[in-house]
Amino acid sequence: MSIDRQANRRKEGSGAFIVETSRLRKRFGDRVAVDDVDLRVPRGSAFGYLGPNGAGKTTLIRMLLGLTGATSGTMHLLGRPVPAERTAALARVGAIVEEPRFHGHLTGRENLTVIAAAREPEAHDRIDGALARAGLSRRADERVKRYSLGMRQRLGVARSLLADPELLILDEPTNGLDPAGMHEFRDMIRGFVAEGRTVLLSSHLLDEVEKICDAVAIVDRGRVAMQGSIADLARGGEQTILIATSDEERALALLAENRAVASAVAEPEGLRVRLGPDVEAEPAADDIGRRLVPAGLAIRRFEPARASLEQRFLEITSRLEEAA
Amino acid sequence: MNATTATAELPRTHSRSPRRPRLVNAELLKLRKRRGLVLATFALTILPMIVAYVVLVILHATEPAKHGPAGGLENFSGSIYVLTQLGVVAAILLGATAGAGDLRSGVFRELVVTGRPRLAPFAARVPAGLGLAIAAVWAGFAVTAVASTVLAGSLEAPGAGLLVESAAWLAIVAGLALVLALGVSSAVGSRGTTIGVVVGWQLVLMPLLLQMKTLGSLRELLPVAATERLGPSSLFDGGVAVPMSLSVTIAVIAAWTIVPLAVGAWRTSARDA
Repeated sequence: MSIDRQANRRKEGSGAFIVETSRLRKRFGDRVAVDDVDLRVPRGSAFGYLGPNGAGKTTLIRMLLGLTGATSGTMHLLGRPVPAERTAALARVGAIVEEPRFHGHLTGRENLTVIAAAREPEAHDRIDGALARAGLSRRADERVKRYSLGMRQRLGVARSLLADPELLILDEPTNGLDPAGMHEFRDMIRGFVAEGRTVLLSSHLLDEVEKICDAVAIVDRGRVAMQGSIADLARGGEQTILIATSDEERALALLAENRAVASAVAEPEGLRVRLGPDVEAEPAADDIGRRLVPAGLAIRRFEPARASLEQRFLEITSRLEEAA
Repeated sequence: MNATTATAELPRTHSRSPRRPRLVNAELLKLRKRRGLVLATFALTILPMIVAYVVLVILHATEPAKHGPAGGLENFSGSIYVLTQLGVVAAILLGATAGAGDLRSGVFRELVVTGRPRLAPFAARVPAGLGLAIAAVWAGFAVTAVASTVLAGSLEAPGAGLLVESAAWLAIVAGLALVLALGVSSAVGSRGTTIGVVVGWQLVLMPLLLQMKTLGSLRELLPVAATERLGPSSLFDGGVAVPMSLSVTIAVIAAWTIVPLAVGAWRTSARDA
């Protein structure tokens, strides 16, 4: 696995999106687990597929990997249609689906040998490097049944590296890891992205996705409610300004006269001013400032309150709940 | 696990078998590393042979007038019959494990994710399983062959032709049991169920059906009838239970090989991973 070869291969990739699905649907009897999902994962990014448990995240991943068939819709991995060209597409895809599973009676190295045998001949030569990368070189010759959950996760990563993957699909990869393990995992994923690989990370942990990913799709009840960069998604939420003044009552009275203001609530750190949905944030903030200062109020704090992904996630999923 | 760790070590030279495909090697690795299974299958075929000949030697030594030498053709025939039964059980254990091993451990999913057609690892299980099953029965056979020859004394020892014929026949019997167990376990996904069902079929139901003369020529469809037909004639002094032509024999054996494997292959391709 030389860096030059990886780079060359990555240059061969075509298209801006490494994963594309169109109206992808999976039905189990009456229940729709994945509902007309249009997903676009940009190349070379860490992409979060974020949603609560039971939202259909794992089902989508299982379809992408050919573990289960789609009811309808189309999928492309690395620019290739799947399942039609799944062999070629999956040759450059590494994945951990749910909890990584192994033959407990074999050692870590032997487990990788088994999987390498199913991949291209070069995969066998990547075993030592993959074990080193996952920090398992010293324990590689122990039987997997003696491994801790964290070690199994690492071995799962090592196994996915045997493909020298352009795309890594990780389904809830930090489940069961302790905080130190989660931190290491995040670093490793960022390391993969820095090498030019793409990571599609499915998780129900907002914090994890926000810390690791560049872009995200928020999914609930099988539907993608929104997708884009994390910054864009957070910006797309309610626009609020936090204002602390010398006289909150007068300030509230002045804000009530301003048509751009949807609501203003006194909080310990100041007034949380929510702008109307169709209001442009910057001119509205300028206008608010121009009205407060001439009224003789001292402005101690005036800052846009950036919505976190968590706030945005809750907004989106609660909106879906209301619509249901 | 450290993101700053060197990307990878330089590829190292590996000693690989130039003849065996990598997937067959991998299947063989999975089977032979199950120490309990390997010990059980070899113990099943070797130990009874050793015990039987030791008992015969002791009997002959204590009462030579009543008990003849431990070796010779007659004892060889008897031990080969026992070895077929034990070899069948050993092959079923191996076939059931090979067929359901990846499913039980959850590694089947990981193999599918490689993008390799599902039938490739399935197909690799056949030569790997056959290799171990035949090695197990031949190990027991080696004990029998040596003992029946060395300990023949005044009795007629089995000739080279009979030994070769018997070894080949044992391989066919064990191989047929293995593919049946492999196909069934790949289809049902359970090692325990497969062992119960196939052992019951091979060692209880099929011998009963073979003895039911009312079934007439339908008994030709039983694999045991076909394998008996192929067995060394000197082992079946009383004749085979169901006389049948060679072409029917070959057709029956082919069907009992192809059908279980086809069912297992179909289920492997179709199941959700």
